[in-house]
Amino acid sequence: MNAKDISISVKKKDHDGKVSGQLAYIGDVKVDLMLYGVLYRSPIAHGKVRSIQLPPLPEGYAKIGAEHIPGANFVKLLHKDQPIFADEWVTYIGEPMFMLVGPEFDILHQLLDEVEVDIEEHPAILTLEEAIRQKDHTGVFASHEFGERSDVIKAIEQHAHQIIEEEYVTGYQEHVYLEPQGMLGIYTDEEILVEGSMQCLYYVKNALISALACKDDEVRVIQSPTGGGFGGKEDFPSLMACHVGIAAKAVQKPVMLLFDRAEDFEVTTKRHPAKFIYRTALDEQGNILCMNVELYLDGGANAGLSPVVLQRSLLNSAGVYKIPHFHAKGYALKTNTVPNGAFRGFGAPQSFAAIESLLGHISGKVNRDPIEYKRNYIVKQGDPTITGGRFKDPVLIDDMIQDLLQTVEYAKKKAEFHAFNQHNKRYKKGIGASFFLHGCGFTGSGERDHIKATVKLARTENDQVLIKISNSDMGQGALTTLSKIVANELGLPYEDVSFPYPDTKEVPDSGPTVASRTTMIVGKLLERAASKMKAGWQSGVSQEAVEHYVHEEMIPWDEEKFSGDAYPAYSWGVNLIELEVDTLTGNVKVEKVYGSFDIGKAIDEQIVKGQIDGGMAQGIAYGFMEKMTSKSGRIEQKSISDYGPPTAMDVVHIESKLYDNPFAGGPYGAKGVGELPLTGGAPAVQAAIEDALQIDFYQIPVTPELIIERLTKRAGGSD
Amino acid sequence: MIKFILNGKEVETVAPATVRLIDLLRDDFQLIGPKEGCGDGECGTCSVLVNQLVQNSCLIPIGAIEGAEIITIDGYCNTEQFQLLSECYSEAGAVQCGYCIPGMIMASEALLSQNPHPTEEEIREGISGNLCRCTGYNMIVDAIDLAAKKGDGLW
Amino acid sequence: MVTKAIASYRMKSLDETLSQLSKEDCQLIAGGTDLMVQRKSPRGAPGRFDKPVVFIDHLKELKQIYRVNQDIHIGACCTYSEMMEHHLIPNILKKAMKEIAAPAIRNRGTIGGNICNASPAGDTLPLLYIFNAKIRLRSAKGERAAEIRDFIQGPRKVDRLKDELVTEIILPEVPEVQPYFVFEKVANRRADAITKISFAGSMRWDEGRIQDARLAFGAVGPTIVRAADIEQKLVGQAFPLNDKVIDGIVAEFESLLKPIDDHRSTGVYRKTVALNLLRHFLEVRA
Repeated sequence: MNAKDISISVKKKDHDGKVSGQLAYIGDVKVDLMLYGVLYRSPIAHGKVRSIQLPPLPEGYAKIGAEHIPGANFVKLLHKDQPIFADEWVTYIGEPMFMLVGPEFDILHQLLDEVEVDIEEHPAILTLEEAIRQKDHTGVFASHEFGERSDVIKAIEQHAHQIIEEEYVTGYQEHVYLEPQGMLGIYTDEEILVEGSMQCLYYVKNALISALACKDDEVRVIQSPTGGGFGGKEDFPSLMACHVGIAAKAVQKPVMLLFDRAEDFEVTTKRHPAKFIYRTALDEQGNILCMNVELYLDGGANAGLSPVVLQRSLLNSAGVYKIPHFHAKGYALKTNTVPNGAFRGFGAPQSFAAIESLLGHISGKVNRDPIEYKRNYIVKQGDPTITGGRFKDPVLIDDMIQDLLQTVEYAKKKAEFHAFNQHNKRYKKGIGASFFLHGCGFTGSGERDHIKATVKLARTENDQVLIKISNSDMGQGALTTLSKIVANELGLPYEDVSFPYPDTKEVPDSGPTVASRTTMIVGKLLERAASKMKAGWQSGVSQEAVEHYVHEEMIPWDEEKFSGDAYPAYSWGVNLIELEVDTLTGNVKVEKVYGSFDIGKAIDEQIVKGQIDGGMAQGIAYGFMEKMTSKSGRIEQKSISDYGPPTAMDVVHIESKLYDNPFAGGPYGAKGVGELPLTGGAPAVQAAIEDALQIDFYQIPVTPELIIERLTKRAGGSD
Repeated sequence: MIKFILNGKEVETVAPATVRLIDLLRDDFQLIGPKEGCGDGECGTCSVLVNQLVQNSCLIPIGAIEGAEIITIDGYCNTEQFQLLSECYSEAGAVQCGYCIPGMIMASEALLSQNPHPTEEEIREGISGNLCRCTGYNMIVDAIDLAAKKGDGLW
Repeated sequence: MVTKAIASYRMKSLDETLSQLSKEDCQLIAGGTDLMVQRKSPRGAPGRFDKPVVFIDHLKELKQIYRVNQDIHIGACCTYSEMMEHHLIPNILKKAMKEIAAPAIRNRGTIGGNICNASPAGDTLPLLYIFNAKIRLRSAKGERAAEIRDFIQGPRKVDRLKDELVTEIILPEVPEVQPYFVFEKVANRRADAITKISFAGSMRWDEGRIQDARLAFGAVGPTIVRAADIEQKLVGQAFPLNDKVIDGIVAEFESLLKPIDDHRSTGVYRKTVALNLLRHFLEVRA
């Protein structure tokens, strides 16, 4: 490949198979003698299992439960608290208790309906509020506290002009990847093979080794083409893989587990609902003297990835700002509800929504324009992070803000909207912005201590190069992006580099496909491997090149103290949204969307644009459209239209702009892009709604119901 | 016995009349193009053409398609129109995870065959029953717009 | 298959269909867009129907749209797409249909099916109530017509005998010049959405006096809400309406509407928005 600029887009590796519908996703796979699995799920939120009564099972049907697990009955991830099959205690509605397998899907469902279980019901924690009340006694998955000393904060507060206390709440978000979760387990004499829709092959493999109590070479994991992930296929597939792996081993036949949409909505992980309590001290001019935040994440019934999600929430709790005397404390709490997990942004979108909201409100209280007020606090190169790390690379965000304000003619637009709102009784227009960053890669020393990524390149005698890594393409374009990096480095045509769907039998552990690390971390390793291969290139001879992660030491991360450099690099973003609110219905019509981003260097401009458009659509919808609720421990929305992710008619063209700011640690200067664009959508949409209505909101999504409630209160004089 | 035309060929089935068309296509005719994303007619991944009109194959009982002409992506992908749409989807960068794309292509064909030069608003309406979670739709809208421009006379 | 095989019929004509209905209790399937979701089985299995099914959406007799004097007759199995393209269908109804779901559903869903499904959130219903639509039914024994407000009795409940079939929807006395019309569908997004509350209103005035007023609300009760007595109070009032009259009408509906909370919205929201839209409609100046 000898493109002058690597950013120029190429045809995606997987285009033809996808556009023709002939690329087989896991649900399209059929193998001989394949059985289906269906899960019997706990009907109650918390209880002790007394008995399970099965109907007579026809020939060829079997129950697979905890008794079939050769190894330990938990899904190996961080804590050991998530049973594969809950046989003694159930801790949330929908928790898998056992599986029925057999040849006919509808017969399995009929059998499920005839199962009778007797469960002794125990008190359940069904809301985050209840979990917060009980946290001193029970149910803390993780907690951290860091920042300025409490006595210093107290002293500052005593002399402050005013103290502003605000609470802020964020809701669930559901991934709605278009392909529901699916996993196939295949038994052979030598191994258990599991293939399916997933982001993290070695998470799945390690969970299988633990559950099957087997050797490394007795399990094998292959990623199927994956119809969207967004974090939803980060931790959850391990559970399903254990189900089909155990079942396949028990019945010695292939077992397929495929969810339909309602099941996927009800039992798979979601974005953590969160609550923030901020206390901010101001001087007479409205300047911030100190800030204290407590945040709580609803982890659901087991820890899953919540402890790590909490870290990212906390690390972003001051946003992109240098706040004097900042103190933070956070908890990931247990509730008897569906476990929450990874979702694009991984705890950061909640925190950015909260801090952007707070600073917006403070600016209003001190009669300053929110954008101007926030800009006073924007971090600069060389500034410390809230954990005592350092923003060591150039920080362009203030220039990006300045550019965007000029592009949209912010002051003029504000005046126009103000005039429009004066004479239009029904519709009100508003404009709002958000400023944000994303720490690229794993938090802290994760890459060095836990992941230890390895990549491999293999060259055939015909000079075709294969990329051998465990990272998934779930739509984000990794097949194409990483192939481009390798081709470019080797000076080969793009077509001569291929990246087959990974198979753990063939590929080393290059880490999970998460944390916006694939291009930056894995891409850099591939760049190095390619350069090594090039050095030893001998035409007509097969060759391999392997590279391992090398940690670049910065200010060392200390997880206990929550101090040091949490990330090797940061990507940055500025969003600006113009919208119109219908004050009769509370409906919001987004009219213009702008996004400016510093992601180092785009490896493929079109792929990056795709990440920006898709991420912003999700982020904006998180702020005002997508509402998911749990009632008595049960997710209420069971269909796509109940939940309401945006259609093509709900989004508008997005004006996006990239700023080159190459990062030495990334391939060709690239930093992470996957999660960043989602982060700014919600706070920008909230700020724009607030601007339109001149009403402050303290939660997302800002639904029409909420808008009407507040408008009604204001009309009645009580708001 | 239900007879209909599937991707240009006369076919028949003895499956019960209330079986969903999507199941018949995928299980009995081994066509993997129409995908199941929701089974409620709310995502469009199973879109097919029924007598040239885009419809959700998950909502159609096969008893209702006697004599109808059904075209799925599996057959449509051999047409000139498909080739152009595929090129334009690639050029616009419209394909990410790909799960919505077969349905999106069928909706694109239905739109362009009725309205060869749609406005942006008409394109958005034309694919409004086809959910995509990856792209935020804009690159798909661009792809269809591109196809309309390049495909002058094809539709 | 577990599901007991059930008989299915797809007759060549309406008469044969009616004859079959006179012999056995059957489930009619028009477009099937609601039924196939309600009767969904696990993947691969036939729908959960407990009686013989009769397909009717192909019957030509049920797909005509024509005018008799001032009455517009719409065949029960006309799809939304077909109606949207037909010159006889009033524009306001077309506008409402454009907001229904998405093209794929509009190509399949029928007006007769929408009425017989009798969802309180049914998208065409408020306007059909405003038009004083009549439902024409036939059986092997004969024919009858019912007012839509009598025909729809509650959610999924209509006044149709087992041997009857809805053949037509009649919009009676549709004037050449349409009066002032408003239709508002309020939902969580702009397409493929289920109505949280809908409002339809029409008003005709002449020489500064209201001649006729009709108001209908969807998804605020088990059936569409229309109140002839309240509408009557508007007739004869000076146009534009003064604040006192408007306040009075809004107050009447305030005590009449009793929407509920569900997973899509709240009763308070539905009521507030219904009254907001009503007030906005009544405040029309010209």
